[in-house]
Amino acid sequence: MLEIKNIHKSFGKNEILKGVDLRIDKGDVVVILGPSGSGKTTLLRCINFLEKADQGHAIFGAADVNLKTASKKQIHDIRQKVAFVFQNYNLFNNKTALENVTEGLIIGRRVPKAEAIEIGKKALDKVGLSEKYHSYPIELSGGQQQRVGIARAVALNPDIILFDEPTSALDPELVGEVLTVMKNIAKEGTTMLVVTHEMSFAKDVANRVVFMDGGVIVEEGSPKEIFTNPKEERTQQFLRRVLPEDYIFYI
Amino acid sequence: MSEGLNYSFLVKTFFTALSGVPTALIITIVALFIALPLGFLLALTRINRIPVLHRFAQVYVSFVRGTPVIVQIFIIYSSVPLVLTSIFKKFHIETNVYDINPIWYAFIVFSLNTTAILIEVFRSAISTVSKGQLEAAYSVGLTNVQAFRRIIIPQTLVVALPNICTATVNLIKATSLGYAMSLQEITLRAKVAANVGYNYVEAYIDIFLVYLILCSLVEYLFKIYEKRLRKYKAANA
Amino acid sequence: MEKYFNAKYIWESFPLLIPYIKVTFLVAGLSVLFGTLLGFILAAMKLGNSKIAQIIANGYTTALRCTPSIVLLFLVYYGIPKIAENFGVNLSDIDKIIFIVITFSLQFAAAMSEVIRSAYQSIDRGQFEAAVSVGLSNAQAYRRIIFPQAFVVALPNFGNSLLELIKEGSLAYTIGLIDVMGKASLIIDGRFNAHALETYLALSIIYWVISIAIEQLFLKLEKVFSKGKQVINPT
Repeated sequence: MLEIKNIHKSFGKNEILKGVDLRIDKGDVVVILGPSGSGKTTLLRCINFLEKADQGHAIFGAADVNLKTASKKQIHDIRQKVAFVFQNYNLFNNKTALENVTEGLIIGRRVPKAEAIEIGKKALDKVGLSEKYHSYPIELSGGQQQRVGIARAVALNPDIILFDEPTSALDPELVGEVLTVMKNIAKEGTTMLVVTHEMSFAKDVANRVVFMDGGVIVEEGSPKEIFTNPKEERTQQFLRRVLPEDYIFYI
Repeated sequence: MSEGLNYSFLVKTFFTALSGVPTALIITIVALFIALPLGFLLALTRINRIPVLHRFAQVYVSFVRGTPVIVQIFIIYSSVPLVLTSIFKKFHIETNVYDINPIWYAFIVFSLNTTAILIEVFRSAISTVSKGQLEAAYSVGLTNVQAFRRIIIPQTLVVALPNICTATVNLIKATSLGYAMSLQEITLRAKVAANVGYNYVEAYIDIFLVYLILCSLVEYLFKIYEKRLRKYKAANA
Repeated sequence: MEKYFNAKYIWESFPLLIPYIKVTFLVAGLSVLFGTLLGFILAAMKLGNSKIAQIIANGYTTALRCTPSIVLLFLVYYGIPKIAENFGVNLSDIDKIIFIVITFSLQFAAAMSEVIRSAYQSIDRGQFEAAVSVGLSNAQAYRRIIFPQAFVVALPNFGNSLLELIKEGSLAYTIGLIDVMGKASLIIDGRFNAHALETYLALSIIYWVISIAIEQLFLKLEKVFSKGKQVINPT
C-alpha cells in the first residue's frame, strides 16, 4: 500500500537518512527500533511532509510522489491518507477534546458538523475518554492527552497511522493505558507504523520489526526473527543494551 | 517658501542639542540610583505582603503608572514650591523658592516615577526566582542579607535586566518633558536655538538624532551587561 | 496656605474636564486602529524571510522606540508640511488632529509589531504541525489554531501598550489639541496659573480612573479568552 524508495534527508551537514526503502502493506503493524539519531523520527516526519526529504519517492497505491518536488496538492492528498500521532501530543490547546478530534474532519475534509461530532465521540469512546468530550488539554493527564491524540488520528479514518514515540513523554504509570489503546486499534486491522522504545509492543503486537541505525535499515523481519535471531551484529548490540540481561539469542 | 534644509543650522544645532545630554544623563543616573534600591525594597514589601507598606506601594504604583508623566511633572512643579514656601516661612529661611534650580524638581519627579516602574519590574522578576533558593540559602547558614546579596539579587537581576533597560530608555525620553520645568535639557536647548530662525524641522531632526544615539548606546551597553550576566548563569547551570 | 491651595477647585474642575475625555479617546482609538494595521505589516516583515524587510522593520521599531513623543509629534507636525512644501503641496489647512493621529499611529505600530511578533513566536511549532497533519491548509491552521492562541498571549501586552498610548497622547496639547489635557491647560492659563495644582490633581484622577478601568477590562478579557490555558496569578 505504501512504499518508500531511497529516501535521503540531511540537516545542514548531517546526513540523517542515507537511503531508506520501506514497504508497508495493508494491515501491517510495523515497529521501527533503533538508537537515537538513527533517523527513525525523521523518516516518519518525511512521510507526511513535516520535513521535506532531499530525495526519494513515496508510492501510495497508484500515485507515485517525488518527495522533494511534491506539489501542495499532492502533499494535501497524502495527508488525507496518513495520520500522525506526536510524541508531545500537540493537542490544540484552545480546543476541547472533542473539538480536537473533529477539527480535521470539519475543516480539513468538509465533513458536516453533526456527522463529524458522531465520529469524534465514537473515536473518543474507543480510547476510553467518553467522560472527557468537553475537557481542555490542560485539564487532562499526559496519558489522556495522548489518547485524545490517537482518537484524533483514528477519527480521520486514514490508510495508515504514524506514531512518533507515542509514549516517550509519559510518566511510566501512564504508558500502559496508551499501549493498550494502540493494541486495540491494531487488532481492528489498522495499518500502523510505530517508532517506539516499548519492546513489549514490538514483541506482542507488531507483525514486522525494522531496525534502523545510522540512517539506514540494518535488518527487518518478524518480531520472532529480530528478537530471538538477529542476524546483524549491530542489531544484536542494540538489543543487548535495551533488553533485560538474561535474554538469550539463539544463533 | 520652498527651501531645502538649512544644513549649517542642522550641524550647529546638533551640538546645541548635544549640550543638553549631560543634564539628561544626570537626571537618569540620579533617578536610577534612588529608584533601583527603593523599587527593589518596595517590591519585596508587595511580595511578602507587609502590612500597610504593601497597600501603600500598590496604590502608589497604580497612580504613577496610571497618569501621564507630564501631569506628574506639573503636579510636583506646582506643589513642591508651595510646600517649600511654607516650610521656609516657618523656619525663617531666606531662600527664594523660585531660585531653586529646576533640576531638583526633576530629580524628585523622575525618582518617584522610576521607583514605581521598577517596583513592578522587580515584583515579577523576584517571583520567577523559586522559593527553594531562599530556603536552600538559609539551610546552609546564610543570613537574610547574605542570601539576598549572593543568591536572590543576582538571579533577579538577570531576569529584570531587559525591563530595567526599557525603563532607563523611557526615563531618558521622559527628560524631554523637562521643558515644562524650564529645564535646560536636550529638547529645550535645541528649541530655543530654533526659535531664532524658525528652523524647527532642522532642530527636531537634531533632537531626534541625539535621542536615537543616546538610547541605542544605552541599549547596547545593557545588552553587553546582560551577556556577561548570562555567561555566569549558564556556567552555573 | 489657603490662598495658594483650595480644594474646591479640584471638584470644580471635573465637570469642566470630563466632556473632553471623548477627544482623548477619539485620538487614541484612531491611533490604535491604524497603528495595529501597520504593526501587523511590520511583524510580518520581521517574521518573514526577507533580510531587507527585517532590517527595515527592526530599524523602524528601534527608531521609534528611542524617540520621545513630543519630538516625534513636532517632527510630524512641522516636518511633513515642509516635505510637502518641496513638492508644491500646501498642507497648512489640515486639521492638527490628523498629524496627531499619524504620530501616535506610527508610535503604536512600533510597539504592536513587537507584541505581535513575540506572541506569534511563543506558540509552540507543534501546534502548527498537528494542524497540518490532520489536513488543515496553512491558512486554516493559522486562522483556527495559531491566531486564537497568540491573541491570548498578546492581550495583556496590548492592554499595556494601549495605556501607554493614552498617556503619551496627553502630549498632543503642546500643538494645541483640546482633549482632556488641553482643556486643563486652557483652564489654568485662563486663571493666570493660579490654582494650577488643583486642576492638575483633578486631571490626574481622571487619567487614573481611565487606567484602572482599562486594566480591569483587559483582565476580564484575558479570563474570557483563555479557556484553554493556565493563567499565572501575580499577587
